Amino acid sequence: MIQKKVCMVGVFATGKTSLVRRFVHSKFSDQYLSTVGVKIDRKPVRVKEQDVNLLLWDLEGRDGAQDIQTSYLRGSSGVLYVVDGTRRETLVQIAEIHELVSKSIGDVPSAIALNKADLTSAWIINDGDRAELGKRPWHVFETSALTGAGVERAFVWLAEQMGSVAS
Amino acid sequence: MTGDPDRPMAPANGDDSPTDAQEFARLRSLLVGREQAELERLRREIRDRTLTAENVGRHLPEAIALRAESDDQLARALMPTLEDAFTESVQRNPQQIAQAIYPTLGPAIRKAIAEAIGGIVEGINRALEEGLSVRGLKWRIEAWRSGVPYAQVVMKHALVYRVEQAYLIHAETGLLLSHVTAPDLAAPDADVIAGMLTAIRDFARDSFAAGTDGGLHAFRVGDLSVIVEAGPRALLAAVVRGHHPPALAERLQETLELVHLQFAGPLARFSGDAAPFESARAILAECLETVVDTSGKTHRGLVPRLAWVAVFVALAFVGYILIASQIKWRRALATLRAEPGLVVLDAHRGLRTWHLQGLRDPLARPASVVLAGLGFDTSRVHETWAPYISADPGVVLRRALRVVTAPKGVELSIAGDTLIATGAAPVDWIDALHARVAAIPGIGAVSDTRLTVILPLAVQPVADSVAASHVFFETGSSRLSDAAQAMLRGLGGSLRTIEASLGPAWRAELDVVGRTDTTGSEQLNRALSDDRARVATDFLLHAGIQTTRPAPRGIGTTNPLPAQTLEERARVNRSVSFAVRVRRAEPGGERKQ
Repeated sequence: MIQKKVCMVGVFATGKTSLVRRFVHSKFSDQYLSTVGVKIDRKPVRVKEQDVNLLLWDLEGRDGAQDIQTSYLRGSSGVLYVVDGTRRETLVQIAEIHELVSKSIGDVPSAIALNKADLTSAWIINDGDRAELGKRPWHVFETSALTGAGVERAFVWLAEQMGSVAS
Repeated sequence: MTGDPDRPMAPANGDDSPTDAQEFARLRSLLVGREQAELERLRREIRDRTLTAENVGRHLPEAIALRAESDDQLARALMPTLEDAFTESVQRNPQQIAQAIYPTLGPAIRKAIAEAIGGIVEGINRALEEGLSVRGLKWRIEAWRSGVPYAQVVMKHALVYRVEQAYLIHAETGLLLSHVTAPDLAAPDADVIAGMLTAIRDFARDSFAAGTDGGLHAFRVGDLSVIVEAGPRALLAAVVRGHHPPALAERLQETLELVHLQFAGPLARFSGDAAPFESARAILAECLETVVDTSGKTHRGLVPRLAWVAVFVALAFVGYILIASQIKWRRALATLRAEPGLVVLDAHRGLRTWHLQGLRDPLARPASVVLAGLGFDTSRVHETWAPYISADPGVVLRRALRVVTAPKGVELSIAGDTLIATGAAPVDWIDALHARVAAIPGIGAVSDTRLTVILPLAVQPVADSVAASHVFFETGSSRLSDAAQAMLRGLGGSLRTIEASLGPAWRAELDVVGRTDTTGSEQLNRALSDDRARVATDFLLHAGIQTTRPAPRGIGTTNPLPAQTLEERARVNRSVSFAVRVRRAEPGGERKQ
């Protein structure tokens, strides 16, 4: 079976672990448990008539790009950037994190998850921000780990992209 | 025209008209046309050859790449040339090659050394741990109590190790390439574990050894050890239960090298598809084993035991050597101190040598001779002796014997400071003894009382005739007859004859002995014999003839003179008899002849 490594990056408490939990185990917990280091999970998906085993590296969220341990990124086939829609600074940091990721592993298929879509009323991301996001080489998904909305779609899209890149 | 150097010379008419030129060209083609064509062909060939080299240069990299993709013929063809080139280069400028490969060589050597040392240290630790630890002792007690050989107890407790799982992991992505598990174990979440192992290694390196080439090599979780061997493109992780030998890591490394060799292509091209590594399972499966290391462990148990025995034997040996050496030393010193003429003032022992210092009489035996007599190696004895004169009787006697040679039948001995001569010696030797011995240090006096004087042959008959002379008495009387008085006077002449032959230092005297016949009581006879002796002595003294002192001496009927008949025997014993005694004039006592 084809295996692909996917890294989940973003500043702390944006919901990376919750997204993985939702995607892999179809569960949600509103308890916040900070990830230390990295947590790895696996999710088999079927993409283009092919079984792909996604190995999800849920990296510890830190304050900013400088704190990301780049060695965890090595060999990653895709990256899911996670942004907390209710915290604008998480979006601002993403650009910097993206720079770092590109620098260490090059351009790999990337998606951005604007998480906590169940709280859109509390979102503070404006159209200008969205336009800014659109300039980058990634696809933007609105996701909610709570409801599960957009989660599967984001991961599967990423898997498809990676499959098309792989030889 | 001056003429083209390429062309032949024009005809001599010098006309340059077009018609002439055409004519000339025609003529030329007729004459040298074939050569011209040949020349042109050669020119083109030279030009083309340059072209071909350029073309080849342009396409060479692609050509090599293309050929290398299709098969390995090119590599094989180039190999000898490359090897030669490499050898040549190393010979010409080794520095350059060294610099080029330094970045890879250094870490490789470091890694090899580190692993070798790691293996050694672990081996030593294990041996110490099991040989001398409390646990080792416990096992020994268990073995002793149960009567089971120690080796088996050790085997039961710790000698079994088992490689339960092996993971082949892609180094860059942390993705699982292949995995095997022992048959009776539940299959784990191998791909997640592979990822986590990679993450843990990354984490450990980033946290503790950032920037180095080393990585997490092994860790323990309860009874399990996880050994991770890293290669350039893949990691091999083994999960081991129990105590694994250092050699296991080496074997894993070899397995990993084999994987790198056999799967070089798939490893380089890996992008998530683990299918090409299906056949690696067989290689990994060889790592899964339950090993009962019987030989190694019994050996390990034996080594400390032998070591202890060796230490004990060595200590006992050293102790024996020390004690024996001490005993020998004391015995040697006691002997030396008892040796006449040797005074040991200082004695001490070095590691291998003996140092002796003291006084030695030149006549004493050398210390080395004394020690050699006891069986010591005297080459290790350093001795310093100052000469002195010993008053030790043994040495004094030796000194005396160097001065006076005792004739046969004479023995010399020492008592206190007196030299005692025993036996029978001629007069002149006795004279010499007295004369010389006085000068010998350590001798205060000479005693010759136990010495019988041998008279010179010339006067011996005189002495014999004196001994044969008797004065006879009437029964119960002690009156000297006239004949007896004449005979007594004659004895004076005999003595003078003897004295004259002996020299001025000597005196000849008469020993007078009175006897009686057996008539009468013993008491009366004793008194009568005394009377007879005194009468004879008085007469002799009156006549100026010396007698021995104390005088006179009557012996009654004891020690009678022999005779044929009772009557004759009574007659000869009513008598006084004589013996010549010679003595030196100086004090020294008398001696009998």
